[in-house]
Amino acid sequence: MEDPQANGDHNHNHIPKKLKLSSPSSFISDSEIRQEFAHHQLGIARINNGSFGSCPASIIAAQKRWQLRFLQQPDDFFFNHLQNGILRSRTLITSLINADHVDEVSIVDNATTAAAIVLQHVGWAFAEGRFQKGDAVVMLHCAFQAVKKSIEAYVTRAGGSVIVVQLPFPIHSDQEIIAEFRKGLAMGKAHGRKVRLAIIDHITSMPCVVIPVRELVQICREEGVEQVFVDAAHAIGSVHVDVKEIGADFYVSNLHKWFFCPPSVAFLYCRKSPIALDLHHPVVSHEYGNGLAIESAWIGTRDYSSQLVVPDVLDFVNRFEGGIAGIRKRNHDAVVRMGELLARAWGTHLGSPPEMCPSMAMVGLPSSLRISSDDDALKLRTHLRDHFEVEVPIYYQALKDGEIGGDNWDGRVAGYARISHQVYNTVDDYLKLRDAINQLVKDGVTCSDLP
Amino acid sequence: MASDDHHIPNGSTTTPPDIQFEFAHHDPAIARINNGSFGSCPSSVISAQQDWQLKWLQQPDDFYFNTLKPSILKARLIIRDLINADHVEEISIVDNATTAAAIVLQHVTWSFLSSQFQPGDAAIILHYAYGAVKKSLQAYVARAGGQIIEVKLPFPVNSDEEIIQEFRKALELGRMNGRKIRLALIDHITSMPSVVIPVKELVKMCREEDVDQIFVDGAHSIGCVDIDVKDIGADYYTSNLHKWFFCPPAVAFLYCKKSDILNQLHHPVVSHEYGNGLAIESSWIGTRDYSAQLVVPEVMDFVNRFDGGIDGIKKRNHEKVVEMAIMLAKAWGTHLGVPPHMCSSMAMVGLPACLGIFSHSDGLKLRAYLRDCFKVEVPIYHREPEKGEDSPITGYARISHQVYNTVEDYYKFRDAVNKLVNDGVTCAFLSD
Repeated sequence: MEDPQANGDHNHNHIPKKLKLSSPSSFISDSEIRQEFAHHQLGIARINNGSFGSCPASIIAAQKRWQLRFLQQPDDFFFNHLQNGILRSRTLITSLINADHVDEVSIVDNATTAAAIVLQHVGWAFAEGRFQKGDAVVMLHCAFQAVKKSIEAYVTRAGGSVIVVQLPFPIHSDQEIIAEFRKGLAMGKAHGRKVRLAIIDHITSMPCVVIPVRELVQICREEGVEQVFVDAAHAIGSVHVDVKEIGADFYVSNLHKWFFCPPSVAFLYCRKSPIALDLHHPVVSHEYGNGLAIESAWIGTRDYSSQLVVPDVLDFVNRFEGGIAGIRKRNHDAVVRMGELLARAWGTHLGSPPEMCPSMAMVGLPSSLRISSDDDALKLRTHLRDHFEVEVPIYYQALKDGEIGGDNWDGRVAGYARISHQVYNTVDDYLKLRDAINQLVKDGVTCSDLP
Repeated sequence: MASDDHHIPNGSTTTPPDIQFEFAHHDPAIARINNGSFGSCPSSVISAQQDWQLKWLQQPDDFYFNTLKPSILKARLIIRDLINADHVEEISIVDNATTAAAIVLQHVTWSFLSSQFQPGDAAIILHYAYGAVKKSLQAYVARAGGQIIEVKLPFPVNSDEEIIQEFRKALELGRMNGRKIRLALIDHITSMPSVVIPVKELVKMCREEDVDQIFVDGAHSIGCVDIDVKDIGADYYTSNLHKWFFCPPAVAFLYCKKSDILNQLHHPVVSHEYGNGLAIESSWIGTRDYSAQLVVPEVMDFVNRFDGGIDGIKKRNHEKVVEMAIMLAKAWGTHLGVPPHMCSSMAMVGLPACLGIFSHSDGLKLRAYLRDCFKVEVPIYHREPEKGEDSPITGYARISHQVYNTVEDYYKFRDAVNKLVNDGVTCAFLSD
């Protein structure tokens, strides 16, 4: 079943909502789903799958079996089973993402590690004279904080410069993003600066928006950007991923966010090229020089079990109607429905149109809450957790240039809740959030009242 | 620090651990005499780890915001006391010694790149340094223009003095032509062959010879030999808690003596904590399972149920492994590669020359054969013979002793080798 968010293409058919018939016996039932996630803390409206993901009980059990095998006879495990297990996972991922060759797929802990790998390589290029002082790296202004710091640690420190492309939010269409990116990139390239690497999110984290990556990669190529790294931390299990179609040089996604793996496991795809041969894992083991995938498969004694359960996860998702594509679609439809429900209830709006939402949506919060800083957003999140048993991250939207600020709060939506929908969520989770916010508004609570 | 054997502080009594129960998950068919490679973890600690893992899965946001940091701090405080460090800021928790090496060596790279160090400045390491560490030196020091000097140590070895002499010679060579030695990387217990190195003396020599910084790779040390980082006097010291300190894979500490340089060390996996100090950076390197780092308190409870706590365990392991090594050497007509006082909880026992161990790959083949056909797990070391040696011993088994081992494990090994000898088996006959 083709996924409507495939790489920015947003022409999708309206498929009727699932009818309330009992599913064919071959599909996982609602009560089985509840069992799979019975370890989730009772009483919490857990609408933040985006931050730390989730893992069903049958996968946790599979992981424990792998952990036990290591503990039983670690030498035998190391010599005879570990490498095969990792290769098996890599092979499955290669097909999932439509890569050409398993050599292009390395397994690492998380997108944060992948960023360090790619950026350390950039650092060496500066150090060894392949890049000149002042050559640039491009990033989005809303890039994940860890990535920004990694750029500081490996690029700025080595003499590179950084071009920051501002994207608008709230957003109304792909066209806005494409136009802003083209503008930002052109401006950054002024004075003949060479752009060595662009880092583009497939799905930005905060605020959460699906970016038209294929188009942006195309613009990068047209503008002479040497290499493109797509940070798709949220993508796999959330939107359709086809790395050849997207056309980037590097692409990373976390399998523990939306793909039901335990923490932590991610893949880093590196399109076959001479440069890919020079990438190294920063934790150097005896495998140094054997290629990134082999280096990453052994970085000293550790628990690699989360990397080994990918086959079990495929079994799990295939118990759902439509497999992972069906899960993605239903998550997307549900989160949009819930987002619209909340926006109506609060008199606000969604931060992006439905076709630019993955399995997450940004829902405007009532202006009376007076969210006026990142600190306020965090305080509100904590308050919702501690007093209403709702877990949801809050985003603070700073004033746009020219906007009147100060005490003019009427109708100005400065805060958004990033709601997620995963298979374990129910409507009640969102009603709980709705009611919590309504209560705060009714009581006249503002963020400055919160501890 | 001997603990009161059977009493925990609040006055109630506790029984010594039931070893059979605690290690019931070990494959019962195997004579597991290789604790040195991958360590071991008792069931009560595994169970504690699973509790931590479950807490995360139950409500990860709450765990992240409210539980993770204080729990890592608790582990760091325990480690600080265990190794006699001054400040908890000096203690970072990382995955393993391999990661610790990357942290220290990446800093050396930046020193070369910022011209604080000059091309040709040297790093000095033992020839027996761990393979991963040597590669890390290639990746971070040689690549940045540094020179690597290897200190060849004798093996078999008979005394600390032999090691001290070789090291002194290498330091002199290193400083020839006014070359600066920027880093000395010294093992506390070498891996293969396994020897306890007189680190305190070597560190002192390095200071006298004006070596900039000293990094002790004590991967095996904690739970195996005494560690007093102030007494040893190095700038950096790392050890894996999952080898001899009963933690699950993987957790290690990197001690960095307080100095201006401490602020310049970074974890290579950069998160939003970048710039907040190595310990804080290391405590969050993206979403991962940090549970192995959180069970240090439960491990202290475990070791304190033994007579003499961790010190008692160390002492008994050492005595037992020496006893077993001598028994094996007698049975095979060979010798120990290292005198008892230079053995830790591991010993190097010569294998009969007739087995024909002539290369590193012979050693691997023999190890696999012992595993598959005799159910004995023990790593084999190949040693190049000196010129003119007559029928030399070129193969050594590195036997370990941990609390779960019994004499039967070593008898099984003894009998396996005797059978191979009786049957005239040599490594040349073993399949790859």
